Amino acid sequence: MNTNNLKEYLALLTPYTELRVQSNNIMSMAFLNGNMISNSQNRIHGVSARVYKNGSWGFASNSVVNDAGIQAVLSEAENNASFLDSRLDLRKALFNPTVGKMKKDFRSTKHPLSQGEIKEFIKLLDNYIATKYPDVMQRYVGIQFLSMEKNLVTSDGVEFYSFIPRTAIPVQLTVVKDGVPVNLYEAFGGLGEAQDFLDNPENFFPKIDTLYQELIKKSEGVMPKAGLCEVILASDIAGILAHEAIGHTTEADLVLGGSIAAEYMNKEVASPLVTLVDFANTYNGKTLTMPIYMDDEGVVAEDVVIIENGILRNYMHNKETARLFGTEPKGNARAWQFNDEPLIRMRNTAILPGKDKLEDMIASIEDGYFLTKTGNGQADTTSEFTFSVNMGYEIKNGKLGRAIKDTTISGIAFEVLKSVTMVSDEMTWAGTGGMCGKKQPIPVGMGGPSIKCKVNIGGE
Amino acid sequence: MANKEILKHTLARLEKVVDKCQCSTSINRKYELNLENGRISLLRTTIDHNYSVTVIKDQKQGSISINKTDEQSINEAIDNVVEICANSEVDEAYDIAPYQEPKTFVSGDLEPDLNKMFDLLQDYVDNIKTNYPTIKLMDTAISFTVSTKHLMNSNGVDFTETEGYYDFTSLFAAKEGDKSSSFNYSSYYVRKLEKDLLSYGSLKQVLDETTNQIYTQGVADKFKGDIIITPDCMSMLVYFVVNVYLSNMPLISKTSPLYNKLGEQVASPLFTLHAAPRDERIAKGYHVTGDGFEAKNMTIFDKGVLTSYVLNQYGAKKTGLPRSNNTGGCYIVENGDTPLEDMIKNCKRGVLVHRISGGNPNNNGDLSVVLKNSFYIEDGEIKYPLNETMITLNLKDALANIVEVSKEQVNFGHEIYPYVKVKDVLISGK
Repeated sequence: MNTNNLKEYLALLTPYTELRVQSNNIMSMAFLNGNMISNSQNRIHGVSARVYKNGSWGFASNSVVNDAGIQAVLSEAENNASFLDSRLDLRKALFNPTVGKMKKDFRSTKHPLSQGEIKEFIKLLDNYIATKYPDVMQRYVGIQFLSMEKNLVTSDGVEFYSFIPRTAIPVQLTVVKDGVPVNLYEAFGGLGEAQDFLDNPENFFPKIDTLYQELIKKSEGVMPKAGLCEVILASDIAGILAHEAIGHTTEADLVLGGSIAAEYMNKEVASPLVTLVDFANTYNGKTLTMPIYMDDEGVVAEDVVIIENGILRNYMHNKETARLFGTEPKGNARAWQFNDEPLIRMRNTAILPGKDKLEDMIASIEDGYFLTKTGNGQADTTSEFTFSVNMGYEIKNGKLGRAIKDTTISGIAFEVLKSVTMVSDEMTWAGTGGMCGKKQPIPVGMGGPSIKCKVNIGGE
Repeated sequence: MANKEILKHTLARLEKVVDKCQCSTSINRKYELNLENGRISLLRTTIDHNYSVTVIKDQKQGSISINKTDEQSINEAIDNVVEICANSEVDEAYDIAPYQEPKTFVSGDLEPDLNKMFDLLQDYVDNIKTNYPTIKLMDTAISFTVSTKHLMNSNGVDFTETEGYYDFTSLFAAKEGDKSSSFNYSSYYVRKLEKDLLSYGSLKQVLDETTNQIYTQGVADKFKGDIIITPDCMSMLVYFVVNVYLSNMPLISKTSPLYNKLGEQVASPLFTLHAAPRDERIAKGYHVTGDGFEAKNMTIFDKGVLTSYVLNQYGAKKTGLPRSNNTGGCYIVENGDTPLEDMIKNCKRGVLVHRISGGNPNNNGDLSVVLKNSFYIEDGEIKYPLNETMITLNLKDALANIVEVSKEQVNFGHEIYPYVKVKDVLISGK
């Protein structure tokens, strides 16, 4: 049988079965101070089957993808479901069937670049930094490419093919100020293959210039004054707040596991200015960084409005939790590799833009901060969060002031969203999105407007 | 082809094409029982193959890794890695391990006991329901993994390593009405399943603590006090110390404040840290490093004196510093002679730090993080669980300011840590 044409196996699938062949291709190259420190490729390809039997799930996978390998995983998944069914005896019914046939291919239409061409391009960027900014004592420039290619069929009759590529060009610069190293990082890129971004190095030069100028300001920056303060969170940070601190608390598996959001359905959890959505694939007619059209349970993906005008309206589900909550799944069940089972995951999460102008928001703050870049963030099922802030500025008497040094912000996200008094009218999506961790990693998109709110900031 | 035949085929094909070559194959079989919504829900079995090859020619290097071991895929990978190598950059530090005596290492069980795994997991679920009624289980899984890896290189290195281990991890929160604790977790590795799941690692202690973390308070002010770091939290801090100060990147770029400090007293005399992948107490260790050396145990800090960095062969050649005996992980901090109870009694004002959340330290080791699942201590007593409380410290200063190390140690199967008390840390509330 043709292992690229899984519908030939439909007759072998017992209700309910998912059969998925998936390939993740990863390419990584990096230069540290002009020295190539990584240059590798990794292809993870294989087949998995997941079988549902009376309330028990059996899953099996193998990296051997041929007719025998596919039949073997189908058989082993069935055996695993039977083993659990024999021990648990849950006698649960099948799910309502979901159907659909779809193909979504974001493969580049441009000619692929060779390894050598990619290397020369990255070296050009590195040389640009080395030549123009000799005071940069550490330069890190690289490229990271990930593509996820999936072929899914289910016993309900779903047939889905997708190819989603993502490219990041990370740049980190370090200068030394008063004996202490200070660095700043930015990743350029987004949905697409290397050739979609590496066409003209001069497109990157102004971005690198901006990064360097911000780094110099940061190296001369001051520590913020610690405590609760008024801030404007730019889209980079508003996006991670939406994803990390709110989004996770509204994933139904975490709701069942004790998340604070279990108590908040249809209650006011944020300022009426806040509407927060997990977009499936498209915003304002534009394809997002991580476009999901159908998930790995064969559910056609739809947007999930999590908070509507300050009221918590929806959780995110897989088939099982949707049935438990008496609702319909909307395509949030996603698996990272072929050998992973689908978990409830976000797609492209953002607060919707409001009506305020950013300059008016800055002008409205007497003593606070404009926080623009974050490195990472963590949050809790209580919605308590901590994010690093890698770039930001003081706001004094309605005007931007000195840059600030690396710091951390923290708070209870639902309280922070209640403190929102202004939301900017522009919308920015983080170009390269991010990787979310929850048993498995998964690429996600994030974005948002700038929001004015109150958070705790670390500092002196 | 059998796995060793693949490696011989690789070396033979590349012998006249490149100067040096290292290649490896592995096969992993994993059996995993998972919970969803607080009950056993999924049995997952996976078979994963890996083939990796690194070549060096004219001091250029290329690497490729695929999860196939069929002849066509292997031959394509060999062709690709030669191309990657040709498009690499010259670096005199690229090398492979020298000849060592061929060895085979075997540890742990080679087959799982699925029924026992199911019974122990079901007992755990029942135990939680009965004895921890406020606890809500989230991601929780028990798995058994058996893996066999072959590694060979063109200098005659020939190692085979087979290991089997059980892995248990449980994520949970405590909830009463509309109040809930922060999520908390515990995980560990064991070679054999001999006791109930609550008996290993820190699991029981962490569950007990979490049930007391629903009604939290903040600290009202900012003060310098003691932090008592739990064994669970030590893991993250030790990894920070190694990554920021002792590993390839900060030493190659000379940004590490501990550069050129080998042999110097840089930490408290109470602090001794080993990286010991071959220690008998470590269930998930390793015998062979990724760069083809037989791993040996090593001491990184000996009574506060820096005795080794964590450098692989590339890092060593790049910096001119000695290659370390292993490539890190499997950390063991030696225990002290103070019972935990006394460490708390001796604390005038401070916090018991179980988990930290926030950014990574900067290149200088400065760290500002929010405390999770942690308690406030005053006048020698644990007073209440904390919320929205931060600590700010510098990792190097913290190593020097260790004042007590507990008698008790927790063995997580891949690491072993005691409780460690550090003085003069900035603790701040909202």
